[in-house]
Amino acid sequence: MPTTRRSLLGTGLAAAATLALPAVARAAGPRVVVVGGGFGGGTAAKYVKKLMPAAEVTLVERDKQFVTCPFSNYVIGGMEKMQTITHGYEKIAKRGVTVVHDEAVGVDPVARKVSLKGGTVLDYDRLVLSPGIDFVWGGLEGYDEAASEIMPHAWKAGPQTLLLRKQLEAMPDGGTVIIVAPANPFRCPPGPYERAGMIAWYLKNNKPKSKILIFDPKETFSKQALFFEAYESLYPGMIQWVGGKQGGKVTKVSPKEMTVEAEFGEEKGDVINVIPPQRAGKIAQVAGVTDEKGWCPIDPRTMESTKVKGIHVVGDACIAGAMPKSGTSANSQARNAAAAIVAMLEGKEPPEPSFANTCYSIVAEGYGFSVTGVYGATPEGIKEIAGGVSKLKAPAKDRDLEAAYAYDWYRGIIYDALG
Amino acid sequence: MQRHPWIIAAALSIASAPALAAPTVEAIARNCVVCHGPKEAGQVEIPKIANYPARKMVEMLTGFRDGQKEATIMNRISKAFTDEQIQALAAHFAGQ
Ligand SMILES: Cc1cc2nc3c(=O)[nH]c(=O)nc-3n(C[C@H](O)[C@H](O)[C@H](O)COP(=O)(O)OP(=O)(O)OC[C@H]3O[C@@H](n4cnc5c(N)ncnc54)[C@H](O)[C@@H]3O)c2cc1C
Repeated sequence: MPTTRRSLLGTGLAAAATLALPAVARAAGPRVVVVGGGFGGGTAAKYVKKLMPAAEVTLVERDKQFVTCPFSNYVIGGMEKMQTITHGYEKIAKRGVTVVHDEAVGVDPVARKVSLKGGTVLDYDRLVLSPGIDFVWGGLEGYDEAASEIMPHAWKAGPQTLLLRKQLEAMPDGGTVIIVAPANPFRCPPGPYERAGMIAWYLKNNKPKSKILIFDPKETFSKQALFFEAYESLYPGMIQWVGGKQGGKVTKVSPKEMTVEAEFGEEKGDVINVIPPQRAGKIAQVAGVTDEKGWCPIDPRTMESTKVKGIHVVGDACIAGAMPKSGTSANSQARNAAAAIVAMLEGKEPPEPSFANTCYSIVAEGYGFSVTGVYGATPEGIKEIAGGVSKLKAPAKDRDLEAAYAYDWYRGIIYDALG
Repeated sequence: MQRHPWIIAAALSIASAPALAAPTVEAIARNCVVCHGPKEAGQVEIPKIANYPARKMVEMLTGFRDGQKEATIMNRISKAFTDEQIQALAAHFAGQ
C-alpha cells in the first residue's frame, strides 16, 4: 500500500527540520519515541530495537516502576502481594532502549517533537503512544479524584489497589461491598467480574456473612456464563449482579453518605469500588489523535493514527475493533506496530499483521478460565478470525490448569513487554 | 527439510488469499511466544515451543483444531489457522 510507505526521513517539514540540524546533532539511526511504559509501550520499544538495532529508541514513562493491573485483583483478594505485580525498567534499558522517567506533555506532529514536563524535547521520526486510559472525572455524578480516595477505582494499579484491599480488611463481617461496573468500552471487560470473584474468595474465608453487589449498566458482559457458574458453585448467595434490565445503571454516587444511586433505587455500601468512565490517556488528546468519544482511530495494518501521520497508537487508547482493551491486546498490537514501523523506516511495505488476545480470569485459588481470539486487519478494522471462551461445566482439573496457565501467561507477557 | 514445508506453505497461502494478504509466519509466531515463551520467561506449565519437532506440532495443532485432541485453550486458538499456516508455524519453531 503506497500511502503507508514512508521513507526514513519522512516527508516535507519533518525532513527539512531534521536536515536543518548540525551534522553532529543528527542521530545515527532513525529515532523512535514511545510514550508509556506499560504493556503496549514496553513491547513497542523492545521490538523496534530488536528488529532494527540501529534505531534510537526512547521510552518515556512517568513512573519509576510499572505496577500491573493484571493480577492486581489477586492482591485485592489477598492471594498475591504488591511485589508480584511491580516491575522495573532495568531489563529493557539493558536491551539498548533509552528509558526516560518523565511525563510527555506536548507533541508537535509537524516538527515531530515530543516535549516532556522536565523540559526535555525529543525529536522523532516515528512516535508511538501507549498511554493507557484516563478517567472521565465527573462523568459519573459525584465521582471525582477526591471521591476516589473514599470509593477507590483500583483501575490503575498501585496505591489504589492497596486502598481497596485495606478497606476490605477493615470491613466488618456482614458488610456490603458494592462494585460499580462501567459501560462499554472500558479497560479489561472481564475485570470487574473477576474482582467480584476474588473479593468473594477473601470474604468467604474471612467474613462469610458479607455480600457483594455488582451494579452494571450493561445487559451482558465478558465470560458472563462462566462467571455466573463460578459464583454459584464457589460462593452461593454471596454475589448479586444487577444488570441494565434490572435498573443496575448507577447515576450518582455519594462518598459522604457511602451510597450509590442506581436506576432501581439507592444502596448503601461499606466498601464501594467505582470503576468510572474512561478515555484514552491525556497525551493522546494533546497530540490530536483522539475522536469525539476520546479514543484513537488507527489504520489496523500499521496502528498509525488516521488523524495524524507519523504517530502510532496501541493499547487501551486505540480503537481496535473486535479486540478487547487488554494487556495481551496491547502487547500484540505493539509487536505488529513495531514491525510496521521498522518496515516504514526502511522504506518497505509493512507486513500483514496478526493479532491475538488471551485474558485469563481467576476467581478462587486454582479456579481459572479464559477468553481468547486471533484477529486480522481488514479495511473495516480489526476482525476476529477465531476464538471463544472456556467450556462451561469443565472438570476441576481444567479450571486448575487454566489458573496455572494464567500465571505462565503473566510471566510470559512481563518478559515480552519489559524483560 | 525443516525449511521446505514453510516455503511451500507460504506460496499456498498467498495463492489462496488474493484479496487480503496473509500475515507472515513471523507475525503469527510472535503471538505464540507470549505464552509459550523462551526459557528466560520462566514458564512452568505451558509447553515451550522453540525447537519443537515440526511433525508433532502439526499433529497437535490440527488435532486441537479439528476436535480430535482435548485442550483448554488451543482448541479455540488453532481454529484461526489453515493447514498451510500450521505447517509454516511448525517449520518456523522447529528451526529455532
Ligand atoms: C483489574 C484489572 C485486571 C486486568 N487484568 C488483565 C489480564 O489479566 N490480562 C490482560 O491482558 N489485561 C488485563 N487488564 C488490562 C490491562 O491492564 C490493560 O489493558 C493494559 O495495561 C493496557 O496497556 P497500555 O499499554 O495501553 O496501558 P498501560 O499498561 O496502562 O500503560 C500506560 C503507561 O503509560 C504511562 N503514561 C501515560 N501517559 C503518559 C505520559 N504523558 N507520559 C509518560 N508516561 C505516560 C503510564 O504511567 C503507564 O505506565 C486488567 C486491567 C485491570 C484494571
